[in-house]
Parts: sequence; C-alpha cells; structure tokens
Amino acid sequence: MQPWKSGAVMASLKHNGLLTAASKQPEPVKAARELAQALCHEHLGFVLFFCSAEYPLPALADALNEAFGGVPMSGCTTAGEITPQGYDRGSIVAIGFDRRVFAIETALIDDLEHFDLACAQPLVDALLERCRQQNLAPINEHSFALTLLDGLSSREEQVLATLDAALGRIPSFGGSAGDDNHLARTHVYANGRFYTRAAVVVMLNTRLPFEVFSSHHLVPLAHKLVVTDVDREQRRVLELNGLPASDVYAALVGCRVDQLTPNIFAQHPLAVHLGGQHYIRSIQRVNSDGSLSFYCAVETGIVLTAMRPTPLLNDLNAMLLSVRERLGSAAAIIGCDCFLRRMALESLQQIDQASALLRQARVVGFNTYGEQHHGMHVNQTFTGVAFGTLPAVSR
Amino acid sequence: MALFQLSADSNETADNAALREENRRLRKVCQALMERVESGGSPNSAPYAAFERSVLLAEQVRERTDALHRTLDELSQVNARLLSANAEAEAANLSKTKFLAAVSHDLLQPLNAARLFASALETHALPEASQALVGHIGRSLKDVEGLLGTLVDISRLDAGVLHADKAPFAVSTLLDALAEEYQQVAAVRGLNLRYVPSSAQVESDLALLARVVRNFLSNAVRYTEQGHLLLGCRRRPQGLEIIVGDTGPGIPEPQRKAIFLEFRRASQPHNNHSRGLGLGLAIVDRISTMLDHPITLTSTLGRGSLFSILVPYAPSITGSGGDKKASAVARSAWEYDDPLQGCVVWVIDDDPAIIEGMQALLGSWGCRVRAAATVSALEAVSDGERPAVLLVDYHLGEHRENGIDLATRLRRRYPGLATVVITANHEAAVKRATREAGMHCLLKPLKPLRLRMLLGTLLDSP
Repeated sequence: MQPWKSGAVMASLKHNGLLTAASKQPEPVKAARELAQALCHEHLGFVLFFCSAEYPLPALADALNEAFGGVPMSGCTTAGEITPQGYDRGSIVAIGFDRRVFAIETALIDDLEHFDLACAQPLVDALLERCRQQNLAPINEHSFALTLLDGLSSREEQVLATLDAALGRIPSFGGSAGDDNHLARTHVYANGRFYTRAAVVVMLNTRLPFEVFSSHHLVPLAHKLVVTDVDREQRRVLELNGLPASDVYAALVGCRVDQLTPNIFAQHPLAVHLGGQHYIRSIQRVNSDGSLSFYCAVETGIVLTAMRPTPLLNDLNAMLLSVRERLGSAAAIIGCDCFLRRMALESLQQIDQASALLRQARVVGFNTYGEQHHGMHVNQTFTGVAFGTLPAVSR
Repeated sequence: MALFQLSADSNETADNAALREENRRLRKVCQALMERVESGGSPNSAPYAAFERSVLLAEQVRERTDALHRTLDELSQVNARLLSANAEAEAANLSKTKFLAAVSHDLLQPLNAARLFASALETHALPEASQALVGHIGRSLKDVEGLLGTLVDISRLDAGVLHADKAPFAVSTLLDALAEEYQQVAAVRGLNLRYVPSSAQVESDLALLARVVRNFLSNAVRYTEQGHLLLGCRRRPQGLEIIVGDTGPGIPEPQRKAIFLEFRRASQPHNNHSRGLGLGLAIVDRISTMLDHPITLTSTLGRGSLFSILVPYAPSITGSGGDKKASAVARSAWEYDDPLQGCVVWVIDDDPAIIEGMQALLGSWGCRVRAAATVSALEAVSDGERPAVLLVDYHLGEHRENGIDLATRLRRRYPGLATVVITANHEAAVKRATREAGMHCLLKPLKPLRLRMLLGTLLDSP
C-alpha cells in the first residue's frame, strides 16, 4: 500500500472525491508509479484508466497492480486519450475515486456470445447489492453504469441491449475500446489483467450529483441510401441501392473509391432515422470486395441518411455549457469521444482549441471505436458523465 | 427523389440494358425494404435489431417502465411509512417496558422500607387491636409486593434484561419446599395437595423454574373449588416433566392459547381473595421460551387441568450431598441459642429510610447495628469494633462503586467478613458476581424471615 499522505487526502475532498492524472512515460513501471504517486491516498477506493494500445499490455497490467497495491481498477485501450491537459496519444490517463464519495463495483463479461438476460440480471443485482452494502447513497438516482467493451467484438448491440434491460432505470454509458486505428486488437482491463472479446461493467454509486449525456454535431441531408445486402456477422454493407456499397458511397461523397479514408468517413457520415432521432452508423473501412465495414450493426433494408457536420468546436462548447448550466461547474467529466470526431478536429487543425475547452471543463477520457448510451451503441458522438460538486453541508 | 439521383444522367441515353439495370436495382431495393419491414415485428436476435429495439425502448417502454417505477416508488413510500409507524409502535412498547421496569424498581425501594418497619412494629408489645392492624398492614404490603414482583418480572422479561442462570440441582430441593408451602395454602382453602417426590437431577435456573411451578400451583389453588391438587414428576426420555394437576373446572379449548397472554384469565375465579393481574401464565410462557423448557396443557371441562413443564436432566448425577448439608445447617440455626444476640452488623445503604428500617428490624432481633451510607461514616460510629456481618446495598448511587466492590475492599481490612449483598437488580449476572466473590445475595424487597435465616447461618458457621 502507498504511504498515507495527509496532503493527498485533503486534496481528494477538495476535488469532491475525484483525482485525475496522466503519464506519458512509455515505460510501464514508471508510468504506473507516476499515476500512483498522483492518485494514491488513504481513501482511494477505485481507479479507472484509459491507456494507449502501444503499451506492452501484460507488463503494464503487472506494473499497475504493483503500483496501486490491490486497489480495484478497470480500464481499456484507446484510439487516443483525453488527459487533464487535453487530447494526447501514447499516454495513460487515470481517475482515482475516493471511497467516501463513491461506492464502485465491477464485473467482467468474458463471454459476449452467450450474454443473455439470465446472465445479465444476476450480474446487475450483485453489483447493486455490493454497492448497497457500502451504505453510501441510495441506489436510485445515485447510481449509473459505465461499460467498456472490446471495440472489435461485433457484439456490442446485443450485450448492451441485454444489459440495459437488466439495468432498468439505472442510466448507463460507455465506450468501445480502441487501438490507435490499427483495427487489430482492442482490450478491456479488469481483475488485474487485459482481456479481448470481453466487456467490463463498472457500477458507480455516488454522493455526487451527476448527469449522463450524449451529443453529436451532425445534421441530416436529403440523400437516402437503402442497404440492399449485408454480411451481418462482419458488420459489412455489401450493397447500397443494389450497387457495390463503396461505389455508391464514393459517388455520394464525390470522390473515387481509392480516395476513401477515415477522414472522409468522419466528414460524410451516414445515419439511421429512428423514433425521430438520427443515429450515426460510422464506416470503419473500405474492403477489397467493394463492401464497407461499419463500427456498428447493419442490416438489409435499413435506410441510411447522409449527414453533414456542423462546426465541431461550437457543438463541443455548447454541449459543455449546457452541462454546466444544469449541473454547475463540474468536478470532472468522463468522456467517451469518438475517434472520428478527433480525426475531424485534427484535419481542421482545431485540436488545440478543443483541448483547451476540454481542459477547462475538466474532461478526461478517451477516443473510442463507438459509444454507448442507455443501451444503444452509437457512433461519432461525445458521450459521458459529468459530476457536480458535493453539497457543502455533507462534507 | 434523392434516392435515385445518382443514375439520373444515364436516363437520357437510356437503352434497354440501362433500363433493365435500373429495374434490377429497384427490385433489389424493394426486396430489401420488404424484408426489413416484414422482419420488423418478429423477435430477432440480429445485432441491428437489438440496436433498434434499444432505440424503441427509449421511446416507448422506458415511458411505461417509468410509470411502473413511479408506482413502485409510491408503494415503497407507503411501505416506508408503515415501517416507521411500526417502528414507532415498537419504540413505544419498549419505552413502556422500560418505564414499567423503572417504576417497579423505584416502588420496590420504599416498599422494602415499609415492610421492614411493619416487621419491626410486630415485635413491639402492642394492644391486641393494634396488633391486628399491624398484621393487616403487613399482609397488604405483602400483596402489593407480590403484584409488584409480578410486574417487575414481566417487564424484565420483556425488556430482555433477565438472563437464565442454569445449573444442575436436585429437583427435590425445589419441589419439597413448594409442596410444603402450598400444602398449607391448599389446606386453608379446604383442598388437598398430593405431592410425589422425585430424586431426579435437573439442569435449569432454579429461581425461574420455581416461578413457573409456583404460578402453576397458585392457579390450581385459585381455580379449584373442591377436590385435590397434584404436584409430581414424570420421567420422560427428553427430560423430567414437572406436573401440576387440579380438579378445577377445566379450560375450554378456545381459551387454551389465550390464557398465556397478558391480562387474560379463564372464567373468573370463584372468590375474590386472590388478587392477581392475570399475568401468571404470560410470565410462565416467557420463562418457558427463555429456558427452552416446553409447556404443555391438557384439560377436560368439568374434570380438571394438567399443566406441565419439561426440564432437561442434569448432565451427571453427582453431589447432591452439599445441598442437604446446607439446608441441615439452616434448620439447625433455629435450634441453638440465638446467634444474632449482640452480634455486630454493619449496614451500608444510600437510602436513609432503608437504614432506619434496618436499624429497627435488626435491633429488634438483638443485633448491634451500625448503619451508614459510606464506609467512612460507618467506621466513625463503630469505635473500632470488628463487624460480624456486612449488609450492603448493591446499587450505591450513580457515581459510586457497587456493593460488591465496596465489600471486597472492606474484606481486605476484615478478612473473612461475612457479606450479604442486597439488590433490587434481578439480573443473573449480579447474583453470579456475588457468588463468585464468595458473598451472599438477597433480592429486594427484602424478606425479613429470609434475612434472619441467612444471618443465623452466617453467624453460626465459624
């Protein structure tokens, strides 16, 4: 265990039970120690972290276990980090939760294929019961679930829908783990090691006021495309309007198929229109057979609406302001920010301005391969939770 | 329509092939849409369907879930109110119990003093008329004491402060005495009590078990108009069944449970000599639960009732000799020259009325009494005399040591000083502590006869 530091304890309550830190040390042991030094105190109850997939993960797991000496941790790999300083890459960002303010329990779902309601309900019940036993705050209205999913598992929709059914009224949000756009292996971390094809559910019960939110900066155009053939398992759209999907999409954007890159996908997104809302279905890549791979589930017969981005900085600013309006100055915001948004900011050279906004609003988080909001797997959004501050009387 | 803008240019130079291609695509689109529409209603585990369901859930089901949750919230609020009402009722009950225990305890103190005064008065030479009045006062006080004792018992049982102090003993030590006592009581009422002695060894709390059998006997006497009563035992495999039978009116089946509740009685007794609160069997029930000794009741209307309690046997059957010797000594105390004459008895009690009462009582027995509230005050009046017996109140006020500690301190100065601790605290723990300290314990209200017997025993044995 870390030595008790009175300074750190004071700081933790000053920060409403939330401490954030980041390390750019490429060496796992050094990075873990840096984080531990910044976060450890007598009342540290849980650590959530997001790390670059470039780290040697087994060594990082060992280093974190060692440095945090048994404090429960969860996390995942990223497609970029949001540190207390703003956007970053090749780093690790972590949030320390004070157990006087947070009761946090986690569960690993390592069999995504067979995760049904019969598994979900006991899992959720057990998490809630363990939170309840800590007697911190009532469960209702004071709890939410954070989900971290393997972003390449293609099982997000079913797992989330099942989990959401079990969670009932408890809000949930989360992100799909990334791997710096290699699209090879994404990992979630629980029980002291990294897992693929797995998900982590973190139940947070807290005395802090909080709000789970989701926002995107895209508006619909008139163009509609009908998906006429798919490979459901691979999340591939083979045909749009009865023609090879990549040809139709390239024609819509106004470029050649070999010019289609993630940057284009970010600027010319597609969405489904359901229940009066548009939900972005992001394209992952063009395949050699002319099909398009997506970051989310696709199906024959769905109608895709072409979308147009509005200035992202404005949207980010407006979103942070509206959170602030409702919750007051946030103690911290945990954000799951789609990596396509970050890519758009980079191509517009607005990454520093965005970093400044995030820094001011005390956002930490990571760039995802998909976000989760109330059981829905969505793309190209900024989804997160904002924590308010402790009421003065209950200090 | 925007959907087909992409192919708009080719329409102008439309040849058959182009039209056919257009037609193929339209068919494909239509087919895809139909497929989608038709799969819409069916439960589909496909990934996109799961997403779509989640979205629709947000629209519709969540609304309904909210309504359900609101209902549940209301229910849980009602539930919470009921719980708090229940908690209040329980708290009120508890405070009633505590109040009763406190009041009973406070009443015992002056009653104790009154009994001592009345006893002392009886030894004075009084005109016959006054003598009779003093006798009435004594009996009335005894009745009050009995009622109060019952109230104290039930409130202590309810408050959970009474703990069983189980030990092995010969059942005859209990039943012989009760039989003798109730043979006289029964005789007064023209009844015959038949007693069948037993040599069995049992394990129980002697005082609590005595209370149960005594209540059985009191009831039997109270409700039986003619005929006879029975006190005896039956050896059962699980334990010794102590039985009290009567030839009373019997208890109708519907009443057999109710009579074990507070303030309930079977049909009114035939006379009004016997005063009671109807708490006897309620106490029996509580003690039975506490000792884990089951009670049985069999009754035939017009023939009589049989109450019994099942007491476990003592683990090993040894050493009943000690008890016999002790009672032999007690009996012999009366036969010698009164050892109380001229002996020095120290009394420490913080209640001036008790001190006065004790001085009157012990003085009437010929003791030389030195009584005070503190040791220093006592030593000041005792001219260096060595005390023969110390009578000390257990509870000497809020901020003082208790009687046992005080006596232990005094016994360092006067080794072997015979000590009697007097307490209104009926907890087994106090009794045990006294026993462990090698002292004797008497409970308030103090019974003069018992005190005299004990003093006799203490002063007689070297």
